[in-house]
Amino acid sequence: MSIEQNWKQLDEQGDDDLSKLLQPGKVEKLHSSNPLYKIKNYLIISMIWAVLIAGIYVYVLIRFPYWPVLLCIGTVLLFTLWAGYTSWKQYISINPSVTGHSLLMEMEKHYAGIQNWMKVQMKAAIFVYPVAAAGGFMIGGMVGSGKSIAEFLSKPAVVISLIVTVAILVPLCIWLAKWMFKKSFGKHLVSLKQNIDALKEMG
Amino acid sequence: MSESQFLEQVRASQGIIYKLVGLYAADAEEKKDLYQEVLLQAWKGWPSFRGEAKFSTWLYRICLNTILTQKRKNSLVDYKESLESISPSVQHSSIQREDGVNLQKAIRRLAETDRAIISMHLDGYENTEIADMLGISANHVAVKLHRCKQQLANLLKQ
Repeated sequence: MSIEQNWKQLDEQGDDDLSKLLQPGKVEKLHSSNPLYKIKNYLIISMIWAVLIAGIYVYVLIRFPYWPVLLCIGTVLLFTLWAGYTSWKQYISINPSVTGHSLLMEMEKHYAGIQNWMKVQMKAAIFVYPVAAAGGFMIGGMVGSGKSIAEFLSKPAVVISLIVTVAILVPLCIWLAKWMFKKSFGKHLVSLKQNIDALKEMG
Repeated sequence: MSESQFLEQVRASQGIIYKLVGLYAADAEEKKDLYQEVLLQAWKGWPSFRGEAKFSTWLYRICLNTILTQKRKNSLVDYKESLESISPSVQHSSIQREDGVNLQKAIRRLAETDRAIISMHLDGYENTEIADMLGISANHVAVKLHRCKQQLANLLKQ
């Protein structure tokens, strides 16, 4: 029997798992596990958090009307709103449905979608983390010590601690974010890139 | 267009899904996941199918595009297909079936893009159609196909 005939003969074989899915009412209930669908879900979650956190920041601004808090939290609030807006922009730009375009185009679309998501997250992290860490340190210190912000920051040791905290926390958070991204999508991106390169090499 | 029309069309071409998923799924669990994803993507794309190409060709594209953009496990294992899962009409031709399964196992050992090329060729697609589906130039398909066939022949001899 030729290779072609052997291959064709596989057509006649059925599979129970597949046949079970080909029943009325089953297809509509399926949920996608496509990475771009997942990213869209993450973006919705990010937007919900952005709104909730923005609400908390507004409360803090009203509750603690001291200029360093207003400066830090006000800045973080702006960045949070900006992060929420970029999440929204990215959310509407992602089309997670698989199309009938060429395989190369489809893989490039998925690769770019995942990479862009990571870039936006990193950009947001670089801007938001330092201010968030500083704001958290000041509010925590103020509430914990029962002093005003000016009194709390009057000691040089506290200012040094603030700088050290930011210097440690920010790179740590960025590293953690990168690690989580790599853990979630690293192997998938490598595999996509390999297949894209393989097709591009062919011409 | 109704769900029953869609299912009817897919049933008629389900061999495509069965064979392609079989080439890429790392294990039985992943195979089920890929079936679901391919069906879902085909169902979502069904309204945009205008009948310019044959349904089987369109399904082939959706199937390949879905599988290769799906997050999959890295290590492939030769998972066992239970006899019960194979339709009784073909159980009698177990030797033929074994040849088909051995061929599938050999193709699974090729690079991912090569698996796509060889499967399209074995399903009777012309080099120009293969090139169009993959998004590469037709000239290179012939060269690549020749190499894939040689590699496959060596694997089948082993």
